[in-house]
Amino acid sequence: MSANMSANIPLRRLWVVSLIACVLWLIVAGIVQAQTPDPSDRVHDIAKQLNCPTCAGRNLADCPTDTCMQWKQEIKDQLLAGKSQQEVLDYFQARFGPTVLQEPPKEGAILVLWVLPVIGLVALAAGGILVLRRVSAQRPKTANEMPVTSGQALDIEVEDEYVARLEEEVRKA
Amino acid sequence: MRNKKLFIGAVILAAVGLVGIFIAGMVLSAQPGNRPSAGSPAPDFAMTLYKDYRADLPETIKLSDLRGRVVVLNFWASWCVECTKEADALEAVWREYRDRGVIVLGVDYLDTESAALKYLQQYDTTYPNGVDLQQEVSRAYRITGVPETFFIDKEGIVRKTVIQALTKQALVNAIEPMLAE
Repeated sequence: MSANMSANIPLRRLWVVSLIACVLWLIVAGIVQAQTPDPSDRVHDIAKQLNCPTCAGRNLADCPTDTCMQWKQEIKDQLLAGKSQQEVLDYFQARFGPTVLQEPPKEGAILVLWVLPVIGLVALAAGGILVLRRVSAQRPKTANEMPVTSGQALDIEVEDEYVARLEEEVRKA
Repeated sequence: MRNKKLFIGAVILAAVGLVGIFIAGMVLSAQPGNRPSAGSPAPDFAMTLYKDYRADLPETIKLSDLRGRVVVLNFWASWCVECTKEADALEAVWREYRDRGVIVLGVDYLDTESAALKYLQQYDTTYPNGVDLQQEVSRAYRITGVPETFFIDKEGIVRKTVIQALTKQALVNAIEPMLAE
Protein backbone atom coordinates (compact mmCIF):
# COMPACT_ATOMS: atom_id res chain seq x y z
CA MET A 1 0.00 0.00 0.00
CA SER A 2 2.74 2.46 1.00
CA ALA A 3 4.84 1.39 -2.02
CA ASN A 4 1.85 2.04 -4.26
CA MET A 5 1.42 5.49 -2.71
CA SER A 6 5.09 6.42 -3.24
CA ALA A 7 4.76 5.45 -6.91
CA ASN A 8 1.69 7.72 -7.26
CA ILE A 9 3.43 10.82 -5.92
CA PRO A 10 5.78 11.42 -8.93
CA LEU A 11 2.87 10.63 -11.26
CA ARG A 12 0.69 13.22 -9.50
CA ARG A 13 3.56 15.74 -9.67
CA LEU A 14 3.88 15.04 -13.38
CA TRP A 15 0.16 15.76 -13.82
CA VAL A 16 0.38 19.02 -11.89
CA VAL A 17 3.46 20.16 -13.84
CA SER A 18 1.76 19.26 -17.15
CA LEU A 19 -1.36 21.15 -16.14
CA ILE A 20 0.63 24.25 -15.16
CA ALA A 21 2.57 24.04 -18.45
CA CYS A 22 -0.67 23.82 -20.43
CA VAL A 23 -2.16 26.82 -18.64
CA LEU A 24 1.04 28.84 -19.16
CA TRP A 25 1.13 27.86 -22.84
CA LEU A 26 -2.48 28.96 -23.32
CA ILE A 27 -1.78 32.32 -21.65
CA VAL A 28 1.39 32.95 -23.69
CA ALA A 29 -0.32 31.87 -26.94
CA GLY A 30 -3.22 34.17 -26.18
CA ILE A 31 -0.91 37.13 -25.61
CA VAL A 32 1.09 36.42 -28.77
CA GLN A 33 -2.09 36.11 -30.82
CA ALA A 34 -3.42 39.37 -29.42
CA GLN A 35 -0.21 41.13 -30.39
CA THR A 36 -0.19 39.85 -33.98
CA PRO A 37 -3.68 40.35 -35.40
CA ASP A 38 -4.86 38.36 -38.37
CA PRO A 39 -3.81 40.17 -41.61
CA SER A 40 -7.31 39.75 -43.04
CA ASP A 41 -8.74 41.63 -40.02
CA ARG A 42 -6.26 44.45 -40.60
CA VAL A 43 -7.16 44.53 -44.31
CA HIS A 44 -10.81 44.77 -43.33
CA ASP A 45 -10.07 47.56 -40.82
CA ILE A 46 -8.27 49.60 -43.48
CA ALA A 47 -10.82 48.81 -46.19
CA LYS A 48 -13.55 50.10 -43.84
CA GLN A 49 -11.83 53.50 -43.96
CA LEU A 50 -11.77 53.68 -47.77
CA ASN A 51 -14.40 54.25 -50.44
CA CYS A 52 -15.03 51.95 -53.38
CA PRO A 53 -13.59 53.75 -56.44
CA THR A 54 -16.32 52.70 -58.83
CA CYS A 55 -19.55 52.45 -56.81
CA ALA A 56 -20.42 55.84 -55.34
CA GLY A 57 -20.81 55.94 -51.58
CA ARG A 58 -19.95 52.30 -51.02
CA ASN A 59 -17.43 51.14 -48.48
CA LEU A 60 -14.43 49.28 -49.90
CA ALA A 61 -14.73 46.55 -47.27
CA ASP A 62 -18.31 45.74 -48.26
CA CYS A 63 -17.85 45.94 -52.02
CA PRO A 64 -17.43 42.69 -53.99
CA THR A 65 -16.41 44.23 -57.35
CA ASP A 66 -13.15 43.28 -59.08
CA THR A 67 -11.72 46.74 -58.51
CA CYS A 68 -12.32 46.54 -54.79
CA MET A 69 -10.91 43.02 -54.59
CA GLN A 70 -7.80 44.40 -56.28
CA TRP A 71 -7.56 47.27 -53.82
CA LYS A 72 -7.97 44.90 -50.88
CA GLN A 73 -5.19 42.74 -52.30
CA GLU A 74 -3.03 45.86 -52.54
CA ILE A 75 -3.72 46.61 -48.86
CA LYS A 76 -2.79 43.04 -47.93
CA ASP A 77 0.43 43.20 -49.99
CA GLN A 78 1.46 46.46 -48.38
CA LEU A 79 0.75 45.13 -44.87
CA LEU A 80 2.75 42.00 -45.59
CA ALA A 81 5.56 44.23 -46.85
CA GLY A 82 5.65 45.77 -43.36
CA LYS A 83 3.72 49.00 -43.88
CA SER A 84 1.64 50.36 -41.02
CA GLN A 85 -2.08 51.05 -41.29
CA GLN A 86 -1.43 54.80 -41.56
CA GLU A 87 1.18 54.28 -44.28
CA VAL A 88 -1.28 52.24 -46.33
CA LEU A 89 -3.97 54.90 -45.93
CA ASP A 90 -1.44 57.59 -46.89
CA TYR A 91 -0.58 55.62 -50.04
CA PHE A 92 -4.22 55.48 -51.11
CA GLN A 93 -4.76 59.15 -50.34
CA ALA A 94 -1.66 60.19 -52.29
CA ARG A 95 -2.65 58.09 -55.28
CA PHE A 96 -6.39 58.64 -55.42
CA GLY A 97 -6.93 61.89 -53.53
CA PRO A 98 -8.54 62.68 -50.16
CA THR A 99 -12.01 61.67 -51.31
CA VAL A 100 -10.89 58.05 -51.29
CA LEU A 101 -11.10 58.20 -47.50
CA GLN A 102 -14.42 57.60 -45.78
CA GLU A 103 -13.57 60.58 -43.60
CA PRO A 104 -11.49 62.98 -45.69
CA PRO A 105 -9.27 65.39 -43.74
CA LYS A 106 -11.13 68.56 -42.86
CA GLU A 107 -9.06 71.02 -44.87
CA GLY A 108 -9.38 73.06 -48.06
CA ALA A 109 -12.64 72.64 -49.96
CA ILE A 110 -13.70 69.81 -47.65
CA LEU A 111 -13.40 72.13 -44.67
CA VAL A 112 -15.76 74.54 -46.42
CA LEU A 113 -18.31 71.72 -46.76
CA TRP A 114 -18.12 71.12 -43.00
CA VAL A 115 -18.17 74.77 -41.99
CA LEU A 116 -20.83 76.04 -44.43
CA PRO A 117 -23.83 74.22 -42.86
CA VAL A 118 -22.76 75.40 -39.39
CA ILE A 119 -22.50 78.99 -40.63
CA GLY A 120 -25.89 78.56 -42.32
CA LEU A 121 -27.51 77.29 -39.12
CA VAL A 122 -25.98 80.07 -37.01
CA ALA A 123 -27.12 82.66 -39.57
CA LEU A 124 -30.58 81.11 -39.58
CA ALA A 125 -30.80 81.17 -35.78
CA ALA A 126 -29.54 84.77 -35.67
CA GLY A 127 -32.04 85.78 -38.37
CA GLY A 128 -34.85 84.07 -36.46
CA ILE A 129 -33.94 85.84 -33.23
CA LEU A 130 -33.78 89.20 -35.03
CA VAL A 131 -37.18 88.66 -36.63
CA LEU A 132 -38.69 87.66 -33.29
CA ARG A 133 -37.22 90.69 -31.51
CA ARG A 134 -38.38 93.09 -34.22
CA VAL A 135 -41.88 91.63 -34.27
CA SER A 136 -42.20 91.67 -30.49
CA ALA A 137 -41.05 95.31 -30.46
CA GLN A 138 -43.83 96.28 -32.92
CA ARG A 139 -46.60 94.36 -31.12
CA PRO A 140 -49.16 96.60 -29.25
CA LYS A 141 -48.75 96.12 -25.49
CA THR A 142 -51.54 95.17 -23.10
CA ALA A 143 -52.56 97.57 -20.36
CA ASN A 144 -50.68 95.57 -17.71
CA GLU A 145 -47.39 95.74 -19.68
CA MET A 146 -47.59 99.51 -20.29
CA PRO A 147 -45.51 101.73 -18.06
CA VAL A 148 -47.51 104.24 -16.05
CA THR A 149 -46.79 107.82 -17.10
CA SER A 150 -47.48 110.86 -14.90
CA GLY A 151 -50.49 111.82 -17.05
CA GLN A 152 -51.96 108.38 -16.70
CA ALA A 153 -51.37 108.46 -12.95
CA LEU A 154 -53.34 111.74 -12.82
CA ASP A 155 -56.17 110.12 -14.79
CA ILE A 156 -56.30 107.24 -12.32
CA GLU A 157 -56.39 109.68 -9.40
CA VAL A 158 -59.19 111.68 -11.05
CA GLU A 159 -61.07 108.47 -11.74
CA ASP A 160 -60.66 107.35 -8.10
CA GLU A 161 -62.00 110.75 -6.91
CA TYR A 162 -64.96 110.42 -9.22
CA VAL A 163 -65.70 106.90 -8.01
CA ALA A 164 -65.50 108.08 -4.38
CA ARG A 165 -67.95 110.94 -5.01
CA LEU A 166 -70.26 108.62 -6.91
CA GLU A 167 -70.28 106.14 -4.05
CA GLU A 168 -70.98 108.97 -1.60
CA GLU A 169 -73.94 110.22 -3.68
CA VAL A 170 -75.34 106.72 -3.86
CA ARG A 171 -75.06 106.36 -0.06
CA LYS A 172 -76.89 109.69 0.47
CA ALA A 173 -79.65 108.68 -1.84
CA MET B 1 -48.97 83.78 -33.30
CA ARG B 2 -47.77 86.13 -36.03
CA ASN B 3 -44.18 85.79 -34.79
CA LYS B 4 -44.40 82.03 -34.95
CA LYS B 5 -45.66 82.16 -38.52
CA LEU B 6 -42.86 84.51 -39.51
CA PHE B 7 -40.26 82.27 -37.88
CA ILE B 8 -41.59 79.12 -39.55
CA GLY B 9 -41.67 81.02 -42.86
CA ALA B 10 -38.00 82.02 -42.43
CA VAL B 11 -37.01 78.42 -41.62
CA ILE B 12 -38.88 77.07 -44.67
CA LEU B 13 -37.31 79.75 -46.88
CA ALA B 14 -33.84 78.89 -45.63
CA ALA B 15 -34.45 75.16 -46.10
CA VAL B 16 -35.74 75.70 -49.65
CA GLY B 17 -32.68 77.86 -50.35
CA LEU B 18 -30.29 75.19 -49.09
CA VAL B 19 -32.04 72.45 -51.10
CA GLY B 20 -31.90 74.73 -54.16
CA ILE B 21 -28.16 75.28 -53.76
CA PHE B 22 -27.66 71.50 -53.33
CA ILE B 23 -29.67 70.66 -56.47
CA ALA B 24 -27.90 73.38 -58.48
CA GLY B 25 -24.53 71.97 -57.38
CA MET B 26 -25.55 68.44 -58.37
CA VAL B 27 -26.83 69.56 -61.78
CA LEU B 28 -23.76 71.68 -62.51
CA SER B 29 -21.33 68.94 -61.49
CA ALA B 30 -23.21 66.38 -63.60
CA GLN B 31 -23.11 68.47 -66.74
CA PRO B 32 -20.40 67.70 -69.29
CA GLY B 33 -19.41 71.38 -69.11
CA ASN B 34 -15.83 71.76 -70.26
CA ARG B 35 -15.36 68.25 -71.58
CA PRO B 36 -12.99 68.65 -74.52
CA SER B 37 -14.74 67.83 -77.75
CA ALA B 38 -13.64 67.79 -81.39
CA GLY B 39 -12.12 71.15 -82.27
CA SER B 40 -11.33 72.28 -78.73
CA PRO B 41 -7.80 72.54 -77.32
CA ALA B 42 -6.70 69.47 -75.36
CA PRO B 43 -6.24 70.41 -71.69
CA ASP B 44 -2.58 70.34 -70.76
CA PHE B 45 -1.43 68.10 -67.92
CA ALA B 46 1.66 66.62 -66.35
CA MET B 47 1.88 62.91 -65.66
CA THR B 48 4.44 60.59 -64.11
CA LEU B 49 5.14 57.59 -66.30
CA TYR B 50 5.61 54.07 -64.97
CA LYS B 51 9.29 53.15 -64.79
CA ASP B 52 9.39 50.60 -67.60
CA TYR B 53 6.81 52.36 -69.73
CA ARG B 54 8.46 55.62 -70.76
CA ALA B 55 9.62 54.80 -74.30
CA ASP B 56 11.86 57.75 -75.17
CA LEU B 57 10.11 60.17 -72.82
CA PRO B 58 11.23 61.60 -69.46
CA GLU B 59 9.84 60.37 -66.12
CA THR B 60 7.31 63.20 -65.95
CA ILE B 61 5.81 64.40 -69.19
CA LYS B 62 3.61 67.33 -70.15
CA LEU B 63 1.12 67.02 -72.98
CA SER B 64 2.26 70.39 -74.34
CA ASP B 65 5.79 68.96 -74.73
CA LEU B 66 4.40 66.53 -77.29
CA ARG B 67 3.25 69.31 -79.64
CA GLY B 68 4.13 68.41 -83.22
CA ARG B 69 3.16 64.79 -82.69
CA VAL B 70 -0.21 63.09 -83.02
CA VAL B 71 -1.26 61.88 -79.55
CA VAL B 72 -3.62 59.00 -78.92
CA LEU B 73 -4.58 59.62 -75.31
CA ASN B 74 -6.12 56.46 -73.91
CA PHE B 75 -7.70 56.17 -70.46
CA TRP B 76 -7.71 52.62 -69.10
CA ALA B 77 -7.63 50.51 -65.93
CA SER B 78 -6.51 46.98 -65.18
CA TRP B 79 -9.96 46.11 -63.78
CA CYS B 80 -11.68 47.29 -66.95
CA VAL B 81 -12.86 44.36 -69.06
CA GLU B 82 -13.52 46.48 -72.17
CA CYS B 83 -9.96 47.83 -72.02
CA THR B 84 -8.58 44.35 -72.58
CA LYS B 85 -10.37 44.28 -75.95
CA GLU B 86 -8.36 47.20 -77.31
CA ALA B 87 -5.01 46.54 -75.61
CA ASP B 88 -3.54 44.64 -78.57
CA ALA B 89 -4.79 47.20 -81.11
CA LEU B 90 -3.24 50.11 -79.21
CA GLU B 91 0.09 48.31 -78.98
CA ALA B 92 0.01 47.36 -82.67
CA VAL B 93 -0.69 50.96 -83.70
CA TRP B 94 2.11 52.23 -81.44
CA ARG B 95 4.62 49.85 -82.98
CA GLU B 96 3.49 50.70 -86.50
CA TYR B 97 3.23 54.48 -86.16
CA ARG B 98 5.77 55.48 -83.51
CA ASP B 99 8.37 56.37 -86.14
CA ARG B 100 5.83 58.45 -88.06
CA GLY B 101 5.23 60.94 -85.26
CA VAL B 102 2.41 59.22 -83.41
CA ILE B 103 2.49 58.65 -79.68
CA VAL B 104 0.08 56.41 -77.85
CA LEU B 105 -0.17 57.60 -74.26
CA GLY B 106 -1.90 55.44 -71.67
CA VAL B 107 -3.45 57.06 -68.60
CA ASP B 108 -4.02 54.55 -65.82
CA TYR B 109 -7.25 55.46 -64.04
CA LEU B 110 -8.20 54.46 -60.46
CA ASP B 111 -5.77 51.59 -60.36
CA THR B 112 -3.22 50.12 -58.03
CA GLU B 113 0.32 50.08 -59.35
CA SER B 114 0.91 46.36 -58.96
CA ALA B 115 -2.29 45.46 -60.83
CA ALA B 116 -1.53 48.02 -63.54
CA LEU B 117 1.99 46.75 -64.14
CA LYS B 118 0.75 43.18 -64.25
CA TYR B 119 -1.82 44.18 -66.88
CA LEU B 120 0.77 46.01 -69.01
CA GLN B 121 3.06 43.01 -68.84
CA GLN B 122 0.24 40.64 -69.70
CA TYR B 123 -0.56 42.56 -72.92
CA ASP B 124 3.09 43.07 -73.82
CA THR B 125 2.58 46.82 -73.77
CA THR B 126 5.51 49.06 -74.68
CA TYR B 127 3.87 52.44 -75.32
CA PRO B 128 4.21 55.15 -72.63
CA ASN B 129 1.91 54.71 -69.69
CA GLY B 130 1.48 56.76 -66.55
CA VAL B 131 -0.61 56.99 -63.45
CA ASP B 132 -3.44 59.48 -63.16
CA LEU B 133 -2.54 60.67 -59.67
CA GLN B 134 -5.58 61.95 -57.77
CA GLN B 135 -7.55 61.68 -61.07
CA GLU B 136 -6.27 65.06 -62.22
CA VAL B 137 -6.05 64.10 -65.90
CA SER B 138 -9.37 62.26 -66.00
CA ARG B 139 -11.02 65.22 -64.29
CA ALA B 140 -9.52 67.65 -66.81
CA TYR B 141 -10.87 65.52 -69.65
CA ARG B 142 -14.12 64.80 -67.79
CA ILE B 143 -14.08 61.17 -68.78
CA THR B 144 -17.22 59.17 -68.20
CA GLY B 145 -15.42 55.88 -67.61
CA VAL B 146 -12.86 53.60 -69.20
CA PRO B 147 -11.89 52.91 -71.89
CA GLU B 148 -12.02 56.38 -73.39
CA THR B 149 -9.71 57.75 -76.09
CA PHE B 150 -8.92 61.28 -77.24
CA PHE B 151 -7.20 61.84 -80.60
CA ILE B 152 -5.10 65.01 -80.40
CA ASP B 153 -3.52 66.53 -83.50
CA LYS B 154 -0.04 68.06 -83.93
CA GLU B 155 -1.37 71.46 -82.82
CA GLY B 156 -2.78 70.12 -79.56
CA ILE B 157 -6.41 70.20 -80.72
CA VAL B 158 -8.80 67.36 -79.89
CA ARG B 159 -10.00 65.91 -83.16
CA LYS B 160 -12.05 62.97 -82.00
CA THR B 161 -13.19 61.26 -78.81
CA VAL B 162 -14.26 57.64 -78.55
CA ILE B 163 -16.04 56.11 -75.55
CA GLN B 164 -15.64 52.43 -76.30
CA ALA B 165 -12.98 49.83 -77.02
CA LEU B 166 -11.20 50.58 -80.31
CA THR B 167 -10.19 48.24 -83.08
CA LYS B 168 -6.93 48.68 -84.97
CA GLN B 169 -8.86 49.83 -88.03
CA ALA B 170 -10.71 52.48 -86.03
CA LEU B 171 -7.41 53.75 -84.65
CA VAL B 172 -5.82 53.89 -88.10
CA ASN B 173 -8.86 55.69 -89.51
CA ALA B 174 -8.55 58.37 -86.86
CA ILE B 175 -4.75 58.73 -87.05
CA GLU B 176 -4.17 58.81 -90.81
CA PRO B 177 -6.02 62.09 -91.57
CA MET B 178 -4.10 63.85 -88.77
CA LEU B 179 -0.79 62.59 -90.13
CA ALA B 180 -1.68 63.73 -93.63
CA GLU B 181 -2.10 67.36 -92.50
